[in-house]
Amino acid sequence: MPKYLFIFRHSTDPQSQPSPEEMQALGGQWYAWMQKFSDSILPGGDGLKPGGRLLRGEIVSDGPYVEAKEFVASFSLIQAENYDAALAIARECPGSNVIEIRELGGYA
Amino acid sequence: MTEPRELVEHFFRHESGRLVAVLTRSLSVRRLELVEDVVQAALMQALETWSRRGVPDDPAGWLYRTARNLAIDALRREQTHGRALPHVADGIGQEAPPEAHFADEIGDEPLRLLFVCCHEAVPPESRVAFALRTLGGFSTAEIARGLLTTEANVQKRVERARDRLRELGVEFEAPQLRARLDAVLSVIYLLFSQGCHATHADVPIRRDLCDEARRLAKMLAENPIGGVPAVHALLALMSFHAARFDARVALDGGIVLFEDQDRSAWNWGDVREGMAWLARSATGEELTRYHVEAGIAWEHCRAPTFADTDWRRISEGYELLGRIAPSPVHALNRAVAEAHLHGPQAGLERLAAVDPEDIPARYPGWHAVIGELHFRLGQYDAAELAWREALRLSSASADQDFLSRRIAECRCLLGPAT
Repeated sequence: MPKYLFIFRHSTDPQSQPSPEEMQALGGQWYAWMQKFSDSILPGGDGLKPGGRLLRGEIVSDGPYVEAKEFVASFSLIQAENYDAALAIARECPGSNVIEIRELGGYA
Repeated sequence: MTEPRELVEHFFRHESGRLVAVLTRSLSVRRLELVEDVVQAALMQALETWSRRGVPDDPAGWLYRTARNLAIDALRREQTHGRALPHVADGIGQEAPPEAHFADEIGDEPLRLLFVCCHEAVPPESRVAFALRTLGGFSTAEIARGLLTTEANVQKRVERARDRLRELGVEFEAPQLRARLDAVLSVIYLLFSQGCHATHADVPIRRDLCDEARRLAKMLAENPIGGVPAVHALLALMSFHAARFDARVALDGGIVLFEDQDRSAWNWGDVREGMAWLARSATGEELTRYHVEAGIAWEHCRAPTFADTDWRRISEGYELLGRIAPSPVHALNRAVAEAHLHGPQAGLERLAAVDPEDIPARYPGWHAVIGELHFRLGQYDAAELAWREALRLSSASADQDFLSRRIAECRCLLGPAT
């Protein structure tokens, strides 16, 4: 079955940060989402710490997303029949994040 | 490990307030922005981790350790950029309370922050917004909905408070607790009364404001500084009012008039709690406005039916209140009591005697009462006029619905000729 990488992007705008109350609600919804699709969600997904390093040629700089409107906050690996099936899983994902969905090449 | 769904209600919100309080204590009020950032980041991390792996056994401790580590990282980064005060980073690294102390600290830290919020240098309208933000863990949007103002306005008030405290370098050490108690009580009282004006589903946070006010007052009462009659009286007052919340809202979200409320729908647990606080408040020499207001609220709870209300005692209560804390609102409430005792005309006369200079310019309640008294006298045109003025001034949608209904009634009774 094809595998897909879900890349979750969050907004960097402080105004659109969820409040603690909203975060608690999201936590429960996320958990429910992961339970519901536990057969499709493969081990290996994780959240990403803020900050980072960017190597461009010889130059190392701090995280690439300082100026960006969105940053990659976490990722999951999903197995699904096709893009439509993967999209159906993504649509039920709680929160109003941007989710980038990419099929794994299977080259490795 | 448990599911995130099983966390106690408001866990994130309450923990965020506690964490801000504890970390601000370690890092000083000057670092409040950094503290708020790391607390937000720690909650985000909890959200990611707990939804993947379940909630750890000690979620509060987990959050504290995470926020503390994030704060240390942030300070180290500042240091490498040469901007940090070295001793601050040392302080949190070595003197941060060990986990065993954390539970004990929780009791005092939020209270300390509450007293800092009420610093004399902070403008009064900023205190409430600032307390809700730092201590209540509410977002700017939630506070704006609760205080019926704009997000930009809330943001401005919070920043003003933060700037003043930073400029002055206000420290948590030995705050002027007793001297600031009055200001703290008035913030709690304001929080509660803001929440009380809520009756509509489009402002769901407002019940939270009342709960938050009661939570803060209870915390205060448990502290030696706050275990005084005025605090007990304020708690009694809030309990009596809270008892009537559910009965105040109709199924369609509209207002149910006090007169028409189903008294069996009152929360009698709250009434009993109020009675216990009232009994505890009845010591000492001082008679505060909270005592008198609690007494009036108790009179209402005590009457088995609306017709049994002891309006004489309520009128006397408002008269006393008017002397302790002169306010046109108290004059208005006294007029209502007088109207019940001696008829609507007596109420109108009392209101007519109030100096027009003292009538609050933007207070819809004033005109709503005048409208009601005229209506009862059969003076429908005068009633309509007053209610139109009230409608013009009112901002809560449930109030607007109610007033529109009453105006329509007047139009009906006046007939087609007008």
